[in-house]
Amino acid sequence: MHKSSMRKSSMRKRKRRNERERRLLTLTCGILLLAYLASAQIYLPPHAPEPSEYGKVILNHYSAAEPGAVVFDHWLHRSKFTCRVCHVDVGFAMEANATGINAQTNREGFHCGACHDGKKMFDGKTIFAACSAAPRDQRCDRCHSLGKKGVRKYEYKEFTARFPKGIYGVNWERAEETGIIKPVDFVEGLSVSIPKMKNRKDLSVEAAFPWVHPIDFSHEKHSVWNGCELCHPEIFPTAEKGTLQFSMFSNIEGHYCGACHGKVAFPLNNCQACHARAPVWVP
Amino acid sequence: MLFKAMLFKATLFKAMIFKAKFDTALITLLLFLGLAALCSAPAVGGPYAAAQTGASQESWQKEFDEICAQTEDAMTFSQAELADLIRRCDNLKPRIEKSDESRRKVYLERLRKCRGLYAYVLDAKKLDAQKLDAQKLDAQKLDAQKKEKK
Repeated sequence: MHKSSMRKSSMRKRKRRNERERRLLTLTCGILLLAYLASAQIYLPPHAPEPSEYGKVILNHYSAAEPGAVVFDHWLHRSKFTCRVCHVDVGFAMEANATGINAQTNREGFHCGACHDGKKMFDGKTIFAACSAAPRDQRCDRCHSLGKKGVRKYEYKEFTARFPKGIYGVNWERAEETGIIKPVDFVEGLSVSIPKMKNRKDLSVEAAFPWVHPIDFSHEKHSVWNGCELCHPEIFPTAEKGTLQFSMFSNIEGHYCGACHGKVAFPLNNCQACHARAPVWVP
Repeated sequence: MLFKAMLFKATLFKAMIFKAKFDTALITLLLFLGLAALCSAPAVGGPYAAAQTGASQESWQKEFDEICAQTEDAMTFSQAELADLIRRCDNLKPRIEKSDESRRKVYLERLRKCRGLYAYVLDAKKLDAQKLDAQKLDAQKLDAQKKEKK
């Protein structure tokens, strides 16, 4: 009798110990999993605005009060010009209000006035003059259009109707490849004739985590739109492979790829556009 | 007769002095006018100053175009060529700084980008050369070790 009660009590004790050990194991596993997830830094891409609003720049450095802030639509201008011609030759900064554009520089044939001079032609039409010396009229509102309805000549939907569409708005790369758009890379009086780069070396950028597909970066595709000096050294400051530790988080903050992607070029939630070997997934 | 000769000499002397004074005055006047013209022309502006500014702008513009037209070929240049382009960019900067505000704003920014690219490519070339040297050194060491073993 005594022996059986002893056995029972020892079994109970062992059972309790086993249970304690199991709990401890579960807790350790849970802590380890949480620590791993925290170190992995789960990336959730931000939602991009509507394609018509994407790449919209408000310039209100000088003209916020009168004649009103300027609304610049990238979708309209990128269908006609390369990024390089505006951001290198004309000298527009990559951030809003950082260039120092004013009526005087425009009138003297710089910045917007490099093309908008009332003389240059595009598609058989004369490009209207920006900030002309004429008294203020509705022409000013074509650019100084923030908060004004019906003053702009082009609307996104009608303007991009004939362009090929991708996962997100217009597929500009395809539009350029198929010849629907022919972005101009030269502005008379400002651009220097530059022969296009040959033997552009493409590269594969390994991701920080083994489950993320590498990026197949094409210098060729990028150099259609940008010159070398638009990205180097300002956006990608070092040539030594493996020294730049950039991540999707730095991209979201507008560094590296995020200097264009997420602002004007296709947004960061279009994963497969860069991680081309990954299955299509649109968050 | 002697009196007449003396009078003639005195008149000649007076005429000579007068001529010398006149010449001095004329030269001084001409020098003054020349100096005034030299000083006033750039200050007042006008066609002379405009022509001068235009000419200087034309010369730096040509140099700028020559330097910045080579950005797409930057990878094909040697280290010495890239260093020379950077030096030319640095020499050009103070000349652009003298031009009018709008031009200065645009062209200094373009020059900065242009110079930055050449410096970037030069750094890349230096790194490549260092790596190549290190590889050569490793290969030489390996060869030496193999020979020692033999």
